[in-house]
Amino acid sequence: MPINLRTPQAETRDQRLGTITQWDGRASQLAKDSAFTFGCGRDCGPGGKRLCELNSPYSQASMCAEQIAVTNATIIKDTVVIQHSPIGCASSQSFTSRYSRDLAARRGWKPEDPKSICTNLGEQDMVFGGVDRLAETIRDAYQRHKPRVIFVATSCATGIIGDDVDGTVRQLEDELGIPVVALHCEGFKSRHWSSGWDVIEHGILRRLVPDWTHEKNPDLLNVIHLGGPDVFTPLVGPLGLKVNLIMGGNSLERLADLSTAAATVTMCFVLSYLATGLEQEYGVPEIRAPLPYGQDATDNWLRDIARVTGRTHLVEAVIASERARIAPELERLRGLLKGKKGFVAAGAAFAHGLIADLRELGVTVDDAYSFHHDPSTDSRDPEQDSLGHLIQATGDIENFTVSPDQHFQTHAALKRSNPDFVICRHSGTTATLAGRLGIPVLPIFYSNDGLGYEGLLTIGRAILRVLPRRRFYEDVAAHSSFPYQKWWLEETNPYALDTAEAAE
Amino acid sequence: MNVVSPITTDTSGSFAAPPGPIEQVRYACALGALTSVIAIEEAIPITHCGPGCASKQFQALSGISGYQGGEFHVPSSNIGNKEVIFGGADRLDELISSTLKVMEAKLYVVQSGCIPGLVGDDVENLVKGYRRRGVPIVFAETLGYRGTNFTGHETVVKAIIEQYVAKQPEKPKQAGLVNVWALLPYQNPFWRGDLTELRRILEGIGLEVNILFGPASAGLSEWRAIPAAAFNLVLGPWLGLSIARDLEAAYGQSTLHIPALPVGARQTAAFLRKVGDYAGIDRKKVDAFIAREERTYYHYLRDFATFYAGCTSQYRLPSEVNVVADSAYGLAITKFLVGDLGLNPGVIVITENPPETEREAIRAAFRNLAPGIDADPLFESDGHKAHVAIRAHARIGELPIVFGSTWEAGLAGEIDAPLVEISYPVTDEVVLSRSYIGYRGALQLIERTYTTVVRQSTEENPEVAAP
Repeated sequence: MPINLRTPQAETRDQRLGTITQWDGRASQLAKDSAFTFGCGRDCGPGGKRLCELNSPYSQASMCAEQIAVTNATIIKDTVVIQHSPIGCASSQSFTSRYSRDLAARRGWKPEDPKSICTNLGEQDMVFGGVDRLAETIRDAYQRHKPRVIFVATSCATGIIGDDVDGTVRQLEDELGIPVVALHCEGFKSRHWSSGWDVIEHGILRRLVPDWTHEKNPDLLNVIHLGGPDVFTPLVGPLGLKVNLIMGGNSLERLADLSTAAATVTMCFVLSYLATGLEQEYGVPEIRAPLPYGQDATDNWLRDIARVTGRTHLVEAVIASERARIAPELERLRGLLKGKKGFVAAGAAFAHGLIADLRELGVTVDDAYSFHHDPSTDSRDPEQDSLGHLIQATGDIENFTVSPDQHFQTHAALKRSNPDFVICRHSGTTATLAGRLGIPVLPIFYSNDGLGYEGLLTIGRAILRVLPRRRFYEDVAAHSSFPYQKWWLEETNPYALDTAEAAE
Repeated sequence: MNVVSPITTDTSGSFAAPPGPIEQVRYACALGALTSVIAIEEAIPITHCGPGCASKQFQALSGISGYQGGEFHVPSSNIGNKEVIFGGADRLDELISSTLKVMEAKLYVVQSGCIPGLVGDDVENLVKGYRRRGVPIVFAETLGYRGTNFTGHETVVKAIIEQYVAKQPEKPKQAGLVNVWALLPYQNPFWRGDLTELRRILEGIGLEVNILFGPASAGLSEWRAIPAAAFNLVLGPWLGLSIARDLEAAYGQSTLHIPALPVGARQTAAFLRKVGDYAGIDRKKVDAFIAREERTYYHYLRDFATFYAGCTSQYRLPSEVNVVADSAYGLAITKFLVGDLGLNPGVIVITENPPETEREAIRAAFRNLAPGIDADPLFESDGHKAHVAIRAHARIGELPIVFGSTWEAGLAGEIDAPLVEISYPVTDEVVLSRSYIGYRGALQLIERTYTTVVRQSTEENPEVAAP
């Protein structure tokens, strides 16, 4: 199904990709069921069945698509984001701003607060509609900051009362003469927050990427990442490629260059909507090789980039030199991490990548936790079946839990695993929980940390830095408790509450 | 779409969203009062709202502001398409019953967000059903579009009092027991340390204290003892006043309202004498405690005078205090800096959108900060407008300092002022037990303030180097 850019609203990934958020079992079963249901990936042997989602009656506060969409719109330079919502949705401004200043420090940009404004809807607006307030706020945003683009993000409340955001946005765009881009991201519309990536990428693709295909730049490689330092230039620079780093706080110029690039890579297939869309709309090829976690995967990823951009003659030398460069330190790290057991918690393809890294570092990973699972990707190319690849390259994962960052389920999964350390994305629930259970934890805030050859060293060293903190965590664990019933504190099946239902 | 629930009038004054957009948000929505529930030991909120609502409020109020922490495991219905279209009461029913299976608490507070308000879920009756079956559970309607975490806090507290505390066996009145309503937990990053200090000084003069929130509180046993208190102490310009009025009506308790949180020996002594007199405590006992505290306090102040006098020009010690904060802390800090440390008031911005009915009293509290010195606070929730006012202020010969939030970092740089982060959001401070009120808190406020001044003066503004 092609990406539909005719409507301002992106289809949710639940609809497009069949994304699920609740599952538990062997990773190989999940890969097989995904392939059976959404088209065969690799090694689609017997044993697949229709992918079924569990359904927990108990749930804890999660995250919404609006937050992802708004955060990643806010950190684009020279823009203002308007949250058309009651004030609570905009309480994320403080952490978006902290994130933005942090990014600026790491990327060498001028540290300043990003600009975001809330229409601040009250009860009257719920009754009479909020479009007047929205129009006023868009004008204010323009007067205050003279942005080059204004984003307007919707909220659950405006979605339900039915404000005509698209109409207002069109009207103000005519009035102000700059793009005013609607981001339809009502939290209730998708079961998973990662749909927010699709929303912002849809908005970018639809409105902020001009057709400059006639100005092809054969040296330009689009890199779509979650955010963080540029670890890509050292990897592909030796091939003579220039990195156009997208998302995670880019400039409008970078977005405008998207259609001129020789190819696009995505650092996590969760973000591949934009890459697939660029190929569909502008013929910029999407690199579909498995993500560059671990040496073999990185070799193949570089080879695929070299093939698509016509640099195959350069790539083997780069691979050989990088492998040689990291070999001694990798040996040292393997020696120190030998026999350790790790637990991975992250989002889909990102989790699969971290598992590959850990296994290459000699860490045992029998348990993992994914915040959602995409059984397919927008390209529908089985090459992008990252779970299938992981299992084929490094073996099965016995206990693979899919859960949208649910504290009670993570508790059970960690009891089941009893690891030496936890490595996780999203520093809130999992990291704190692991620490409070007495387990050293490495939260990956900047998601590029584990990528490529250097990523193995970065991750390995970071794990070694947190292991001694067991002394602190065990002390805290011994002196605090969780407000769960005794039976749940002992439970090791994250979906024990559903078992009865599932058996029916 | 019908809005089925009636407009509430049950919090202090009536809430109205301030007109116009808000940039640099300085509070959460009413649902954010789930942090007030988290601040009560053995109580947990059950949230009926969209999937990101509860965690966003928690991350904003606790996670990033002061990194106050606490892991987050709040039950939430994470409302989806189905509940929006067909109603969410069944899903909430399923959530409550499974919560009771999995979680262990002595009190459950069901809070609803925007969506159930808009689609018209009958949460109240659902919760009532559980209560009838003996579950300690209450319902607080904290619709996001209908209030802030300040008004939501009052809604939550009132729900607990009416639906939980009132159902407890009656207890005899206890002379010398006081309920304290001060400081909004988590919104004020220093609430834990401040409530601890408050409890310490009130107990110091011989009172027994229901401090109700945070590590200094005994938890729900204090809540159950609320009706037994002799009186309610509302400490702050307005928050908690309507709670105290309700308690007056329900339990015949009187209210002592003191608008300014005391900072430093002068104000704290006056505060303790006022409370002591009101409670009928022997003046000698109160004075003895004050004397003990002052002995230590002034020892430190005497030594600090060496810095305050000697380093005046070396570190360009500030002379004008500018504040961007909620009314409680804004007033407390301004009074101390002006009244005790001898600064002049600059621009004072009050950010929490206090009820219209309380604003005149807040203005009055800013008069006579020191003999003959008044400040005229500006009520403004929008950071952009607040900053315009501070920039526009004429400063002839004054050296400004800003007490505000992280949002003021850029502004402080522009007017060449040090910034001390005291109000939400505080993203550049890690706060544990630090307090800025009472005796001990005032000393910590001085430490933080002048450490900031010295660092800013020497690191960020080097004198022009000689060629």
